[in-house]
Amino acid sequence: MLFNSVAFLLFFPIVCLLYYAIPANMLRARNLLLLVASYYFYMNWEPAYALLILTSTLITYLAALGIGYFKEQSKRKLCLVSSLVLNLSILFLFKYYNFLADNIALLLKATALGIDIPKFGLLLPVGISFYTFQALGYSIDVYRGTTKVERDFATYALFVSFFPQLVAGPIERSNNLLPQFKERHLFDYDSAFAGFKMMLWGYFMKLVLADRCGMYVDIIFNNVDKHNGGSYLLASMLFPFQIYGDFAGYSLIAIGAARVLGFRLMENFHRPYFACSVSEFWHRWHISLSTWFKDYVYIPLGGNRVGRMRQYFNLMVTFVVSGIWHGANWTFLCWGGLHGLLLCIEKALGIGRTKYVGVRRFCHWIVTFILVCLAWILFRANNLQDALTVIAGVFTNFAEPYHALGTFIGIAAAMPILVIKEYMDEFQLHPLQNLANNWLIRNAGIAVLITYILLFGVLDSNQFIYFQF
Amino acid sequence: MKKLIASITVICVIAFGLDRLLSHVMWQVNQRSHDIWSYKIKYLYNDADQDVILFGTSRCNNHYVSSIIADSLGLSVYNGGISSSHNIFAHYIALNILLQHHTPKVVCLELSADDFQKEADAFSSTNIFAPYINKSPDIDSVFRVAGTYWPFMISHLYRFNNKACENLAGLVLNWEKDDASGYQPIQRPAVFPDCLEKEAKAEIIDSQKIDFLQRFITQCQRRGIRLVFMVSPKYTKVAPGYYDALKSVAESRGVPFLDYHSAGLFLSKPQLFHDSSHLWDEGARAYSSLFASDLKRLLER
Repeated sequence: MLFNSVAFLLFFPIVCLLYYAIPANMLRARNLLLLVASYYFYMNWEPAYALLILTSTLITYLAALGIGYFKEQSKRKLCLVSSLVLNLSILFLFKYYNFLADNIALLLKATALGIDIPKFGLLLPVGISFYTFQALGYSIDVYRGTTKVERDFATYALFVSFFPQLVAGPIERSNNLLPQFKERHLFDYDSAFAGFKMMLWGYFMKLVLADRCGMYVDIIFNNVDKHNGGSYLLASMLFPFQIYGDFAGYSLIAIGAARVLGFRLMENFHRPYFACSVSEFWHRWHISLSTWFKDYVYIPLGGNRVGRMRQYFNLMVTFVVSGIWHGANWTFLCWGGLHGLLLCIEKALGIGRTKYVGVRRFCHWIVTFILVCLAWILFRANNLQDALTVIAGVFTNFAEPYHALGTFIGIAAAMPILVIKEYMDEFQLHPLQNLANNWLIRNAGIAVLITYILLFGVLDSNQFIYFQF
Repeated sequence: MKKLIASITVICVIAFGLDRLLSHVMWQVNQRSHDIWSYKIKYLYNDADQDVILFGTSRCNNHYVSSIIADSLGLSVYNGGISSSHNIFAHYIALNILLQHHTPKVVCLELSADDFQKEADAFSSTNIFAPYINKSPDIDSVFRVAGTYWPFMISHLYRFNNKACENLAGLVLNWEKDDASGYQPIQRPAVFPDCLEKEAKAEIIDSQKIDFLQRFITQCQRRGIRLVFMVSPKYTKVAPGYYDALKSVAESRGVPFLDYHSAGLFLSKPQLFHDSSHLWDEGARAYSSLFASDLKRLLER
């Protein structure tokens, strides 16, 4: 079920009503309701793939029980490794096997060995990377002793499948979300209103900003051979806003929906395009994933506690893996690699840790923004050839860009509102705070935003980009 | 809980008021817009009074030069083809928009595989006509089948969502052509299409589409309108019997069917095509002459 579908707009209020209709002290009944709702939410895509979540849940649940049960380190490790291997094998089979088979076949063909490698016609289950990583994070935390073993299967299954963040994050940590399933959540007007406001802003970012930018970006990136450098440049400048609106919008809807139900999910985006270095960008972009990689990949590799060269190696490995996490395509691998390289350069120059002000800050901000946009070209292009054509085309084939005034009007309806809001939030400028505190004006603001989305939103249930990961 | 109910009430009241107010504004915008869709729909609704009206999608819009057909027939002709109105649901609405005020002598409907094949989101092309909901029960019947009737009734502003930005753009730019005959030429392409693809025979027939095709015929026959179906040239090959689902309906209802696509017209002349589905202006003129003489023969029978 998509957040931007009529089905969800009916589903969510019904779940909220039922949830709060169950007395707060009947925790088990409430959790069971959320569990059933979460599986129903997921099974709207492909019912059979709910078995995969269930499998992943069972594996990590049993592995954690084993880790908690055994005292010997070797047996505990065996439980953890089993959980990692089994979960990553499922992920590999559904997401990476065909990619690997294609590339091995190409390699064999190049060496004149025309061997056919069998491929599977499997559809990529929505959100498999997200819930797999969340479940693996739990296994590792239990092994490290930073979280307690969850013995109640229903509660643990809810942790893995909690519908607001099931298919595109935020990738929650067990020690943040699991305890919340054991708390009594009484209905709180202010919390519910704040959650609803977040959801609405998320819808604005997705439907008005991201999908309008997507109309232009898709035309150019899906027909690279038919366009010129001017169009490439414009599309490359719009895609960062499309992906931000799409993914941050999804996260906000997820966090807001959970908030309405009384749960607090972690922040996933913190105005990333105000970053003044690539390193700062990764502290602001997809925070739940970047901290996951930091905690479970970068630090175990040695993190910053090793020599300089080894640190660079650790960074490169972490970001290449992060790239591959996004998808089985060389473009994602190169995107991750480029970010890793930029971070190594910043580390070597000591840029990432310095706080700049004034003109220097502005210069660092603009350079960072350009570098991030450049990397996004690799992320968005359908293949490496297209990515290189786009990058080269900006410099060698510059001409009047393809223009579609209607699409530009749609983008203009969203972009200034986003930029002004983000700017005011970033620099803590709230000149109208007193007005915003007025109950009537707050509610009127919500009504205006709903109307605005009704008029300018792309309301034909487009997929969220990150669902494919 | 009281605060929540009060909030919901206030939000609903203000949103409802804004919805109704802005929908009036958007109706005015829609009626003044010169975007590629609105002005044609508006013309069909208010002004079209020609003897011959052509309906269809962009292939109709770009392939039939009204003046050539008018000269040949000695009748007035309007090309009512609307880009993006890509299947029979949209054509049926367009016909009923016209019939609100005018009954032409002849209606020519350009058909394609989208008029009988099952496709995902088949009703999406009807959304451009949403501003005309409630103008006639026949128009509303399509939205009822599509499941969009009640959303459009609840939010009047939502009716304008599909092309709101394009409507606004149409206040600045003008896509209307001077001769006001509805034909919109495509410019010569930089590269002509160079490969002949083969279109496979459709596996799944959409019975709802066939039903609306039957309704289209009934509407015309009830008003004494002579109806002609045609499929203009494409730069693709087709399997034998590709359009059988449409032809059998036409045959059973006594509607002539001119199939230039299956006949392979212009397949040896890629220089007349803009892409595999569209003729550019030169191709459209060559095709319109042929079509006009065939249509004349048909009407003289």
